[in-house]
Amino acid sequence: MGAIEYAIDNWGRLLEFALQHMGFVLLSIIIATLIGVSLGVLTYQRPGAASLVIAVAATILTIPSFALFGLGIAFFGIGNTGPVIGLILYSQLPIVRNTITGLQEVDAAVVESARGMGMSRWQSLLRIELPLAWPVVLAGVRVATLIVTSIFAIAAYVGASGLGQEIDRGLSNLGAAWAFDTVLAATVAIVVVALVLDLLYTLIGKLTIPRGVRS
Amino acid sequence: MTDTEETAMPASESDPPAMIRLEELTKVYPGSEEPAVDAVTMDIPEGEIVVLVGPSGCGKTTTLKMINRIVEPTSGRIRLEGEDVTNVDPDRLRRRIGYVIQQVGLFPHRTIAQNVGTVPKLLGWDKQAIEQRTDELLELVGMDPATYRSRFPKELSGGQRQRVGVARAMAADPPVMLMDEPFGAIDPITRDRLQNEFLRLQEDIEKTIVFVTHDIDEAIKMGDRIAIFGNDHRIQQYDTPEMLLSNPVNEFVDAFTGTGASLKRLNLTRVRDVALSDWPTAAADSPREELQRQLGEAEHSFLLLLDRGQRPLRWVSERDLARPDWTPRGGLKVRAVVEPHVTLHDALDEMLTSNVGVATVVDERGSYQGVVDIDTVMTAVNAMRAETRERVRVAPWHGVAASDVADASEARS
Repeated sequence: MGAIEYAIDNWGRLLEFALQHMGFVLLSIIIATLIGVSLGVLTYQRPGAASLVIAVAATILTIPSFALFGLGIAFFGIGNTGPVIGLILYSQLPIVRNTITGLQEVDAAVVESARGMGMSRWQSLLRIELPLAWPVVLAGVRVATLIVTSIFAIAAYVGASGLGQEIDRGLSNLGAAWAFDTVLAATVAIVVVALVLDLLYTLIGKLTIPRGVRS
Repeated sequence: MTDTEETAMPASESDPPAMIRLEELTKVYPGSEEPAVDAVTMDIPEGEIVVLVGPSGCGKTTTLKMINRIVEPTSGRIRLEGEDVTNVDPDRLRRRIGYVIQQVGLFPHRTIAQNVGTVPKLLGWDKQAIEQRTDELLELVGMDPATYRSRFPKELSGGQRQRVGVARAMAADPPVMLMDEPFGAIDPITRDRLQNEFLRLQEDIEKTIVFVTHDIDEAIKMGDRIAIFGNDHRIQQYDTPEMLLSNPVNEFVDAFTGTGASLKRLNLTRVRDVALSDWPTAAADSPREELQRQLGEAEHSFLLLLDRGQRPLRWVSERDLARPDWTPRGGLKVRAVVEPHVTLHDALDEMLTSNVGVATVVDERGSYQGVVDIDTVMTAVNAMRAETRERVRVAPWHGVAASDVADASEARS
């Protein structure tokens, strides 16, 4: 296999691209989680608002990434800014939906007893409801991460960093002896990045899900 | 306003002061024309258990939840220790009121100790004080702190969870506790035990307790006073259990307290309130001849053998003693052992299952105190009957708003 040889010969270069790729994915996901969880917290008690937010997030996810990143050039020019914002948008559906579901599924009796003992709305949310909803929220973040890890590769054509650049370079030079191997090696590297991130979530889950609610 | 105070509860002079006073408390839910609670006025005296009871949808739970403003009243006022709390910050108010609900609502992600320490933590107690208080409370509800402190709610049984729920509600030593069907979701045997434990606890802590149930038997057992809510979302009668059973103000109350009122009244008296009967006893290690002699002198056909700690061991009859292979382990094992705090109803129940026809009474250490037999029960019933007749004569409208009396007399005539 030429791709394996290519990867062995260029592993330093591939690793660098992979780390870039992972870095931008994680940056996007952290910001997306802050926004998505906030949206969920603001809407989970109002069924109308919750449906609206979910519908908008679902609509965003149907926009082809090729088009969205292209349109982003008009606002943010060439580079990583536009793609990162794109990834944040694409992450919203799983994160917002799981935050809303997770918060709605918290046992009403638990919330009532929290309020009944004199916790404020805010204390109940931060100390009781969000920790209990956290496993569901985390599952949403995990799905969002998988989605954007692959989408980020497309962003190379608007100048974003990461493994997409290698794919882009290979595809633009198809016919050259190394081109196909480059594309293949970079694609496999993206899958590896996704697997590594997935393992990271297993670890985060172990560390952050309280023992009393672990199944 | 003065008018309201007069009808709130025509308390006699011996009644303790009101810890909670509800004035014309009304709740109308948005989109509903009929009020869920209609102008409820009542005084809840300090240190008593007041039970709100009635059919589902009568407004008893809504009334309870308006006291800590989980449900905000549409109109009317709530006073706690004389202070009008209708418009104060609800979170601060709730930290002064213990709250126990049927589903318990323990925080699943927190340990038992953290659950119990919730309100002290909200109040900013220091860590050591919280730990000390938590252990004390677990001990109080009969759970070993060392065993349970670091467990999670899912590792406990339903009964244990409810105990923790009660401990949690008492954590900051609130003067008032609200309990919404606290034993409703628990199997009958455990429920009975928890009720008894709670009554024993209440003798020490003397909290003011508002207790909601749909079960009139539970109401009679637990309540110092009972408010019966009707389908019109108003209080039909607010009275002591004796008065409710002997003197219902209208047909609704009569039907709700139900048949078997006499039997229910046995729930109002506890074994320690009645004179126990004597029974011939002997030390279990006495020689056989001595036992035979004692039984011969007694008027009963059984002799009760006690161990050295005066704990009842076995019933022996003349036949047992006459057996050639007699040993002190012969005879019938003593069943139907009750403690002084159980109700006569439970003692009667035990008595019927006993092989000798009496319930044996022991103190907390298990030493023999006497027996309850059918004569004891009959005497108690007759005494109760005489007593209520007396009270009815003295205060024919005791505990009833004037309008209800009018309704009642119409219904009766």
